[in-house]
Amino acid sequence: MSVSATDQQKNLRPPKIHPLLRFVLVRIGISILLIWGVTVVTFLMTNLVPTDPVAAILGDRAAADPEIVAQTRERLGLDQPLIVQYFTYLGNLLQGDLGVSNQTRVPVLESIGQVFPASIELGIGAILLSVIIGLLLGLLSALKQNTIVDHAIRTLSLIGISAPTFWIAAVGYFVFFFKLRVVGGAGRLDPWMTPPPRVTGLYTVDSLLAGQMATFTNALGHLILPSCVLALFTIGLLTRFSRSSVLDIIKLDYVTAARAKGLAPRTVVFKYIFRGALVPIITVVGLAFGSLLSGAVLTETVFAWNGLGQYAYRGATTLDLPVIMGVGLVIGIVYIIVNFVVDLIYGFVDPRVRVR
Amino acid sequence: MKIRLPRRALAIGSALALTFGLAACSGGDSEGGAAGDAIVAETAFNLKTIDPHRQFEFTGSTIDNAIYQTALEFEDGDLTKPTDGLCSYEMSDNDKKMTLTLKQKDAKFSNGDPVTVDDIVFSFKRLQGIEGNPSFFLDGVTVKKVDDETIELISKNPNPALPYILPNSSIGIVNSKVVKDNEGTTDENDGAEQFLNQNSQGSGPYKVETYDADSKVVLTANEHYNGPAPKFSKVVLRNVSAETQVTDIQSGQADVSFDLSSDQVETLDKNAVQISSLPSTRSIYIFNNTDEEIGGPTADPNFRKAVASALDYDKILDLAGENGQRMASPVPNEFNGAVPKDQAPDRDLDKTKKLLDKAGYDGEAVPFHYASDQAVNGMDIAQLAQTIQAQLKEAGIKLSLKPAPSATQLDGFRAAEQPMGIGTWGADYPDPSNYNVFVPGGSVAERVNWAEGDNTEIDELAAAATKAEGDDRSPAYAKLFQATTETGIWVPLVQPVSTVVVSNRIESYVSNADVTFDFAKAE
Repeated sequence: MSVSATDQQKNLRPPKIHPLLRFVLVRIGISILLIWGVTVVTFLMTNLVPTDPVAAILGDRAAADPEIVAQTRERLGLDQPLIVQYFTYLGNLLQGDLGVSNQTRVPVLESIGQVFPASIELGIGAILLSVIIGLLLGLLSALKQNTIVDHAIRTLSLIGISAPTFWIAAVGYFVFFFKLRVVGGAGRLDPWMTPPPRVTGLYTVDSLLAGQMATFTNALGHLILPSCVLALFTIGLLTRFSRSSVLDIIKLDYVTAARAKGLAPRTVVFKYIFRGALVPIITVVGLAFGSLLSGAVLTETVFAWNGLGQYAYRGATTLDLPVIMGVGLVIGIVYIIVNFVVDLIYGFVDPRVRVR
Repeated sequence: MKIRLPRRALAIGSALALTFGLAACSGGDSEGGAAGDAIVAETAFNLKTIDPHRQFEFTGSTIDNAIYQTALEFEDGDLTKPTDGLCSYEMSDNDKKMTLTLKQKDAKFSNGDPVTVDDIVFSFKRLQGIEGNPSFFLDGVTVKKVDDETIELISKNPNPALPYILPNSSIGIVNSKVVKDNEGTTDENDGAEQFLNQNSQGSGPYKVETYDADSKVVLTANEHYNGPAPKFSKVVLRNVSAETQVTDIQSGQADVSFDLSSDQVETLDKNAVQISSLPSTRSIYIFNNTDEEIGGPTADPNFRKAVASALDYDKILDLAGENGQRMASPVPNEFNGAVPKDQAPDRDLDKTKKLLDKAGYDGEAVPFHYASDQAVNGMDIAQLAQTIQAQLKEAGIKLSLKPAPSATQLDGFRAAEQPMGIGTWGADYPDPSNYNVFVPGGSVAERVNWAEGDNTEIDELAAAATKAEGDDRSPAYAKLFQATTETGIWVPLVQPVSTVVVSNRIESYVSNADVTFDFAKAE
């Protein structure tokens, strides 16, 4: 059987890549470039701080000894030119080495592995509350536009956005833990409780996996209040965004047509209005989730929640350069991944932006 | 438009509400306080390591006090009376040789090994050799094993401070065999720090169970401890902010709080807690740079003395809270060599005016540096700086506040680049020689460009104090620090209060200047 020239040409062409796969691959490529950019920015910004990190590491006496100062500088590689330091850092990074904390001498990756699940647990709790409550309130507010319900929701959302988190956390802790005793205290578990065997680092999940129900309820009891405090801002934000987004959609012709067809109000609201309003809301949810995962310093401080926010804060105040760069990199990656996922979700929600 | 929520949404909402409700109930269950045999203490962690020969921070020291025994101790926490610990001691007449004799021959490490002279020698040498922050404690000291019961510490120069240095928890005695087996050495190649953080090797009442420098350290009783067994078999030390400690100590969530300020202590229900106020070993002072190019008016002694006479010290004391003390020198009042606090200056605005005229001060704003994120024994340094600014303004002295994070402020101070500001000093050991850093040429004096030879009178007093022996030391140092303070380069402000709040669940406890809270003696 002979093969025509056209067929031969077809066989030589690279196999056709599915548009979605191509989209994903391109985004991964861009993400890698972005992550490299993040390493450059965090490295440069960290080294621009007009303070000597060696002085922050050494005590008063040791810092006064030039020999010890020089040895420490050499041990940390700070005696090398900046460009050499950067490529050393980058080389180590490619091998999964984020360096060692100057203060505790614990590998940064190990510490982030310890604290990041705490922030993820808190962030997931907060985003769940935010999405459920925020979207429903926003929807209700839009559907009841200019009624007392609308005014009340808008006022509450404004309070959620503008009230200082630190104050809400302190007051919430005093009222709900100390006075009413309806939530757990500071920390992820009661002080005398032992954490569950580590699988994910999320105490609620790990305790369930280990079948430790007492630990699970205790961990959940400790999670509720900080999640609620952290969620308040995002609830306010999402309420306002979803209200405005729904109000934009509700006036469109296709909604009017759906109503004219005699569809059930619930169908019109959830399948026509809400779905149409989701795209901008997803953007906000994505950004909010990225922000929650990156650690919430004030909330974590009040509730002694040993998460990424507290770790970053301690790194910054003690000029622990490897910690600052490590956390900066992780936060950058979190945002890149969240945005990537958000872009994918757009396609599922809105056929107009779906890759074909 | 009337709508009903979908059943699925209602089901999810109900499930969430039920779960959270259950958890909330469980949160309520935890109200009973620290359970049974565990004592829970809270502090805002300042913790890098619990390797005794590297730690030099409050939290590390608090933990190591419970884990490691030391060659010498302080008698009932009295910092002027060093006494026998694991060893008894004898100083030579010229204060150059200390002979230590192993006294507690029944002392055992947490693995059951007996404490030997070899362990003590190794511990001293490791402290010296690894060049950590506390290595300076034994600078210029040669450690020599004489026999299985005796050690000699030979100093190059007379070293009467040595008995006051050895009780420090940074000179804790470790199990040399185990530490050596885990990369421990007596030089800078030592690699036992992480091992010691997770596996303490002491002979004190407790040993480490879990260590997380960011959140929590748990200690359990050392069954081989040769003293009375602690009543609480477990100590949980948690990293909690001072604001949250206020609630926790009253709720029973915590038994001990270390960081409450005087204002916070005021808010506590005194029937629910016990309060222990101890004189702190910290000094808070104003520094004035002596270099005219850097300090401008602060280089003029008349200006500096004007600052000292312009301050309203009683109001500054109010910031420290009850039991805060005036200081007449940088040396805490309870130490040998302190200048009696009744000799501290008082506010005298007429004197200030005359001194400012003499100095020819034209009202230029002087940059005033301080650590805006620092609190010393609960005393907020930012608030103190604002108070000083207001008081000096009343006297015609203008300050331009320069707040910065601690690390940044300290960096500038160490570089001797700051004209004026607030400094703090915590005693490394309770001997006046520790305050030689404030005399010309000392490491703190260099930060204000005050070099040896700049003031011959003080140089002579410093030499005399160093030579003084026995009972002559205290007055000789007092004279030195009085002269040092009179230059106005240092304006001592206040000796704050170290406040420990203890819940009523603890029936008796020991809290003193040596060990802020003795977990092993709590009942």
